Amino acid sequence: MGYRHRIVCGLGFGDEGKGSVTDYLCSQDSADPAHAVVRFNGGAQAAHNVVTADGRHHTFAQFGSGSFTPGVRTHLSRFMLVDPLALAAESAHLASVGVGDALGRLSIDRDALLTTPYHRAANRAREKARGQDRHGSCGMGIGETARYALENPGDAPRAADCSAPRTLARKLARLRDRLAAELGPLDAPGVPDVCDAYRAFAACVALVDSGYLRRLMRAGPVVFEGAQGVLLDEWRGFHPYTTWSTTTFANAETLLAEAGETAIRLGVVRSYLTRHGPGPFVTEDLTLELPEPHNRHGDWQGTFRAGHLDAVALRYAIEIAGGVDALAVTHLDTAARSPLRLCRSYQAGGQRLTRIAPGPERDLQWQERLTRMLLRTRPVYEDPGRDWAGVIEETLGAPVALRSYGPVRGDIRLAGKTLQSAS
Amino acid sequence: MGSGRWSTNVYDAAARFRAATGASAFAYSDSGAAHTHPDLDPHGVPVRESRDSADHPRSVAIAVLFDVTGSMRAVPRVLQAKLPQLLGLLLRKGYVADPQIMFGAIGDATCDRAPLQVGQFESDNRMDDDLGRILLEGGGGGQKTESYELALYFMARHTETDCYGKRGRRGYLFIIGDELAYSRVKPAEVRQVIGDELGQPLPVAGLVAEVTAKWDTYYILPAGASYVGDTQVLGFWRDLLGQNVIELSDLDAVCETIALTVGLGEDAISLDDGLADLSDVGSAAGPAVSKALAVIGAGSARLELAAPPDDLDGASGNRRL
Repeated sequence: MGYRHRIVCGLGFGDEGKGSVTDYLCSQDSADPAHAVVRFNGGAQAAHNVVTADGRHHTFAQFGSGSFTPGVRTHLSRFMLVDPLALAAESAHLASVGVGDALGRLSIDRDALLTTPYHRAANRAREKARGQDRHGSCGMGIGETARYALENPGDAPRAADCSAPRTLARKLARLRDRLAAELGPLDAPGVPDVCDAYRAFAACVALVDSGYLRRLMRAGPVVFEGAQGVLLDEWRGFHPYTTWSTTTFANAETLLAEAGETAIRLGVVRSYLTRHGPGPFVTEDLTLELPEPHNRHGDWQGTFRAGHLDAVALRYAIEIAGGVDALAVTHLDTAARSPLRLCRSYQAGGQRLTRIAPGPERDLQWQERLTRMLLRTRPVYEDPGRDWAGVIEETLGAPVALRSYGPVRGDIRLAGKTLQSAS
Repeated sequence: MGSGRWSTNVYDAAARFRAATGASAFAYSDSGAAHTHPDLDPHGVPVRESRDSADHPRSVAIAVLFDVTGSMRAVPRVLQAKLPQLLGLLLRKGYVADPQIMFGAIGDATCDRAPLQVGQFESDNRMDDDLGRILLEGGGGGQKTESYELALYFMARHTETDCYGKRGRRGYLFIIGDELAYSRVKPAEVRQVIGDELGQPLPVAGLVAEVTAKWDTYYILPAGASYVGDTQVLGFWRDLLGQNVIELSDLDAVCETIALTVGLGEDAISLDDGLADLSDVGSAAGPAVSKALAVIGAGSARLELAAPPDDLDGASGNRRL
């Protein structure tokens, strides 16, 4: 019997509280404290906020949200899009809040794709050309990285290239030239400067082979920290308002299967729903004024939006994610003092709708029709009563294993049996 | 989601990574440790063993010992950060199927706290833990001389390898440094550091003959050390090791250089293939490596025994000592 690994996925559009849940699971407060965090989707656009009991705050983008606990490692798997330059700034901030050895606790799969300044410049050029029709991209080049790798798999810069300077220079120059040919001159630094920074990066982090993760999982429990939310999934989200990334448990399950390991699947939800930027949001309520200290209007993502708990959308998320073993419910303190309501059904085209049925696999036309339908849909609200966690457990059909009543670790409480100590 | 709060300025990033290089790999040193880590202490160790096992039936022993005294300046920190890549590189390039790697460090027995540190031979990344436990001296005698002879003594008399014992093939020993060895192994130092009783001093030349009988031995003089390019140092080691002296002009290529040397020795690659690999990582070490390795490429420097010596009985697996 191996260790109890856990996968943490947000079931909404992001901002569910994956950071604080991951931080808890790595802490000594947890029943089986994890010794490492594995990232398995997205890239540097993640923004997972963790606030320590003594008030230190960090927005985790690429480092695992367990990093405040001394010794907890971060592994960036091959499914992660790695931005070395952003890692430097993030590690510097971590050092300023008392985590001085973050780079030393970092390992990166050699096959992980790199997000470069050229991807970022192309991303911004493309979003600007789109004008009003923007898709809520983060402007970090994540989509460009995925797109370029799909179109030019052999030429896409990967982590391993950082220790092979000639290959790196060749790939970067080719990348820059191809994107510039398509989009015009890019506002980005020169190839020698990028190479220089990437070589320095390779000299101070561990670039590891595929067998490393298995050893990490044999050494102790691991948390797989998902980025973004299931409702933004590239195939099952509300196209085209999605991300270039698989946001379900799928990538984590692939890594676990390769290592012959299994994990508890933990879905994270707020007691209400939020979304950055445009796209369907049936329960959005512009009159809601909720505290949101760490999420603000992003230059490239548009407005931060808030609305009521949408059980129809969340049940769809659980269904397309292949089910959850347990839930973590965050922001229960907000629910206790705000006029929040519960939506368990939609009114769409004169009909009452309680379930969004998943369409065929990888059918973006289907997803686009779903998006159009949702944009015309109205919520039907109920009064949730006082027991939010109980209502969510019953409505979503999964046990609540963690309840969070505030931004710091001490505000999280264990509930139910799923995450209790096995012994 | 979010909006990418962390700066992606390329110049800031390069400066930050440079400042961070190796800082964490030296956890043991940086924690204020003042003594050799118990796992690396050679005192009283009968032998360090590299053994075959079911998973690794044809083990090839590879030992890398580097000078950690002050003359090496920042080099040991770079090595400590770089060397964890050696195992993956050997396996990925197919240079050797079952490498077993040991890391160690060389100081100065006349004045240092840790004149000799030796880890275990490992077939997986556990030797990286040994690497992190190496205590960095930063001292040394200021005499252009360090206790390499103690390391040679240990490798000659306190190691056993199945590659040699069972198959008559030497393992690979790499010594990375920039200074001379003392001319003789002194009984008092051997007693103090290793625990053996020597009747009389041993001249280093005789010791080298003992070591090279079971270890294909290379001296690497890296860029960035105090005595880089020093003709006295190079001459000293060439007298002892012949062409197996490599001037490494690009420290970043240290793993590639070691891997290439092993790959050639194992006949896994041709020199041209190996140099192409080196060139791809931007290393200018090619000419020096090719000169040092050309002899092996021609097959004349390899010592092949008709039968393994009968005094070594190979147990399976690594025995932790």
